[in-house]
Amino acid sequence: MREPNAIDFWRGFALVTIFINHIPGNTFERYTFSQYGISDAAELFVFLAGWSIAIATRQRDGTPEPGGRSVVRMLARTVEVYRAQVTVMLLALAIIAGAALILDNPLILEWHNAGNFFADPIQSVCGMALLTYQLGYFNILPLYVVLIGIAPIIVLVARLSQTAALGLSFALYLASLIFDWNLPSWPGEGTWFFDPFCWQLLLTLGFVMQEWNRTSPAFRRWTRRLFPLGVLIVLVGIVLSVYEIRPDPLLVPEPRLLFTFEKSYLTPGRLVHFLGVLLAFAPVYALIAPRIGMIVDFLSGLGRNSLAVFSMGSLLSLIGQLIRFQTGGGRLIDMAVAGSGIVALGITAWFVEWRSRKAPRPRA
Amino acid sequence: MPARSPLCLTGAALALLLAGPPARAQDAVGPSLECRVPNSQLYTVAALPAVKAAVAGKHALRLLAVGGSAAPGASASYPVKLEAALEQALPHVDVIMEHRGLPGEIASGAAERLRSLVADADPDLVVWQVGTHDAIARVDPTAFTEALDEAVGWLKSHGIDVVLVDPLYTASIAGDADYNRIVDGVRGVATKQGVPLVRRFEALRYLASRNEKGESHILGRQFRLNDLGLRCMAEHVALTIAGSLAQTAAIPTAQPKPAPDAAAPTGTPPASTVAPRNPG
Repeated sequence: MREPNAIDFWRGFALVTIFINHIPGNTFERYTFSQYGISDAAELFVFLAGWSIAIATRQRDGTPEPGGRSVVRMLARTVEVYRAQVTVMLLALAIIAGAALILDNPLILEWHNAGNFFADPIQSVCGMALLTYQLGYFNILPLYVVLIGIAPIIVLVARLSQTAALGLSFALYLASLIFDWNLPSWPGEGTWFFDPFCWQLLLTLGFVMQEWNRTSPAFRRWTRRLFPLGVLIVLVGIVLSVYEIRPDPLLVPEPRLLFTFEKSYLTPGRLVHFLGVLLAFAPVYALIAPRIGMIVDFLSGLGRNSLAVFSMGSLLSLIGQLIRFQTGGGRLIDMAVAGSGIVALGITAWFVEWRSRKAPRPRA
Repeated sequence: MPARSPLCLTGAALALLLAGPPARAQDAVGPSLECRVPNSQLYTVAALPAVKAAVAGKHALRLLAVGGSAAPGASASYPVKLEAALEQALPHVDVIMEHRGLPGEIASGAAERLRSLVADADPDLVVWQVGTHDAIARVDPTAFTEALDEAVGWLKSHGIDVVLVDPLYTASIAGDADYNRIVDGVRGVATKQGVPLVRRFEALRYLASRNEKGESHILGRQFRLNDLGLRCMAEHVALTIAGSLAQTAAIPTAQPKPAPDAAAPTGTPPASTVAPRNPG
């Protein structure tokens, strides 16, 4: 078990934010940082995934581990995330169907795009296995599967040249924005909610920046110098989101995606805002960690076990939505739902670590 | 004057529907027997200038259907059925249909997603099933109504017509105050923005009351009614669009008299009702 650190802390923070934001309409939604900026917790989550890959594919002394081992390591992780997505989708559909039956309310079947599954299970079950059928709010893990699946390419290219890795990644990002490349949804029409061709840039950025941060004093100096710029970007983001100012997709010039704030495509506006958030908040952990020890321990615990906590969180937020629906919501219900949910996330993290401690250690 | 024919035919079909024998009406745009609901309980009409311009100008109608499921199962034939029903109601018009699910709440995020869907599809008409997600998520009805009003206003400001479809009816939720406020909210926005509304909630309530002793469903009566509602929706939407188009044609003449005058203005839509289209 790792000691609490900034990466796990922020990842735990992103997990709690995603959990709250996935119970739409609840009282606490307005207190999450997602409401006060252009980018949100999803960006943080993917960026930190790239950062963690950079750490995981090096040995303790900083030398890169053998390329083959990195590839297998990420392949194993891809399988793990895929398994989590399939399990979580099945359970979510069961929760939706069960609630519709118990509450005698067929409307629930249409929720979150689940109607497709119940109307057409034959195609949908194939789509579920192919990750092209996604429920609303259950679309981050499919992105994650693709990103970790292609991460070996990023890692191996970056070993030859970090500039080349970043350049290729940025070229793919730009081309996807200009030509509107995305993976298709099926069954049904449309495309993935999180476009992997665009979002891969954030994973690459996380990966490359970790390396720069480790090796380059100039990089660390510049991130400190640019702190005021980060604060400025964060402030602009607050103003824009509070006053709901955003580009009108029918008024911006072509190619449209270069100018809008669309989450699906991680458009440049969102990317710039996220980089500003990074600059502004990078020093925060060192300042607050000594003062909020308990919270740091808790959030780092969530962050260390992010896949299990995320999976559990997405199911808990679905259950939370159903509870809000059936009881009519309200501040008390919201407090109970959010409070017990966060405790349950903590228990999930604890359980995963307890189980791995109990498990027989793999030999060799 | 080829431009006239579709609208004249629509008018004729509608006249048949309103006055003619049921058998004939069914051949045109009328709902099938199981879906039949008195018009007053089914929809409110309003002008559809962009649709009219598209139909008159290029004999093609780009339609973006938003919300609901799209898979080709029982409910999902909806986009296909709507396209067929519309092409029947508007002969000589090529209906180009796009359908997109819109999971999520209008009051938090889905309205933004709608904007990008619209920018992608570049439609003349958006048929929007709206409100069910927000109702189930217990979104504050006022916040929902404001967000919907803004979204519909945005569509209209770009010269895109909108037809709203309010949430489904089911017995276990019919008495729920918040749910009814969402349904009322959709109606309020339709009235305020002057867009046609398919009153699916009322229509299904009517069908529910009529079908007390109807066939049963393996999962219970509510589930059968839900299937019926999804099956009928395409027909109800097509009827609403046809009815609204007929009214749009009649707008320029102060008091539309029967046949000859009603046909006259169809060739050239009045400039005031055709909003300019922004590029992009």
